Amino acid sequence: MKTRSWILLLSALALVLGLIVLVQQLTARPAGTALVYSDGALVARLDLSADTRLRVDYAGGWNILVVENGAIRVEEASCPDGDCMRQGAKSGGAPIICLPNHLSIRFTDEGYDGVSR
Amino acid sequence: MKRICSLLLALAILLSLCACKKLPESSESILYAMDTQMDFRLYGDDDGAAAQSLGDLIAGLELELSATDNRSDLSMLNRLGSSTNADILALLRAAQTLSARTDGALDPTIYPLVKLWGFTADAYRIPREEELESTLKLVGLSRVHLYDDHVELDEDTMLDFGALAKGYAADLCRAELEKRQLTGILSLGGNIQTVGEKPDKTPWTIGVQDPDDPAAYVVTLAVEGTRAVVTSGDYQRYFEYDGTRYCHIFDPATGCPVQGELRSVTVVAESGLLADGLSTALFVMGYDKGEALWRESDDFECIWLFSDGSVRLTQGLEQAASGCAFTVVRR
Repeated sequence: MKTRSWILLLSALALVLGLIVLVQQLTARPAGTALVYSDGALVARLDLSADTRLRVDYAGGWNILVVENGAIRVEEASCPDGDCMRQGAKSGGAPIICLPNHLSIRFTDEGYDGVSR
Repeated sequence: MKRICSLLLALAILLSLCACKKLPESSESILYAMDTQMDFRLYGDDDGAAAQSLGDLIAGLELELSATDNRSDLSMLNRLGSSTNADILALLRAAQTLSARTDGALDPTIYPLVKLWGFTADAYRIPREEELESTLKLVGLSRVHLYDDHVELDEDTMLDFGALAKGYAADLCRAELEKRQLTGILSLGGNIQTVGEKPDKTPWTIGVQDPDDPAAYVVTLAVEGTRAVVTSGDYQRYFEYDGTRYCHIFDPATGCPVQGELRSVTVVAESGLLADGLSTALFVMGYDKGEALWRESDDFECIWLFSDGSVRLTQGLEQAASGCAFTVVRR
């Protein structure tokens, strides 16, 4: 094959690869978002790059969520055991769960499909 | 030359379209049952019918198997002493098999002990010696008489399927998804059940929780296909008194919460029921007896987390495990 043909072939392959990468980048899910579920229903999407405070009420119980420094935590809660507060500030990984108040905080870049506990 | 360029352009467009092809959307749902949170991620369940079906299945099981709900079939069995409920009979057959296999470490007749120590009402207490002795007389599968179509209990015998119910539910959910030709991952209060392959063919990534930090993992597993991953440990439900931790997992032989060298045991098996029952039993048995059981078995793998932070896992998990230093137990 002539040199010019090889150049054209390689250029086309490079174009194809570039298109593939571009499409994957455009369809990738955004990172750094906490999804807040109350009793199984999504009630809030919180951008972890923006500090915020949110109260979630459920059946007489409540949780105060704080987003700060790129992470989210349960700062206060009405639950009797306080497990949700002890889970600390997180920006990914396993969800934060408050079982008595049916609260679950999950992350879009969880990295894990499940946590055995 | 023009023909070559045209072909290359067509190839470029075709491959780009392939890159645009989206993986099946996953649908996620959360429900609260069996005193815990359950999470489903299903692929291909576009109309939510499968998730609804799983929710109905679990709700039905809870009505049958809850030891604390007075309306349940199990509570009625514990009160009246007999039952024909098919799920209860199935669980008892499984319990008998697992009890024999684990030298009695798994025993669903421990409910009187669970009540005695206050775990049913969150009113924890340490019983007196004489209370323990008298309650232990009510424990033992010899007090359960299982027939083809019904079960009868000796007087004051009471059952609790806490060590088996979620695993049993997981198996039924798996069967439902397989019938619908769907794949996904279920977390039933932390009992993990994967069904089939992920759409992108990569392994399911499962973390085993650090007992001392719910945000951290002791070890990470790359799990292929359909598997149950279940952990039993001393950190899930417990109370502390005078510097000693009393967890919710009881040794049927002593009537007391297990206290020993292990913080948790994780079992990986194809069956959720097997993984659930064995994780409890192996925690009760301790490492030496648990390892011996593994050596004479071929249907599960295991991870032991010790109080000193060390981790041992069986050789079937060696390639799947990462994230920490561990010792491989080989056949």
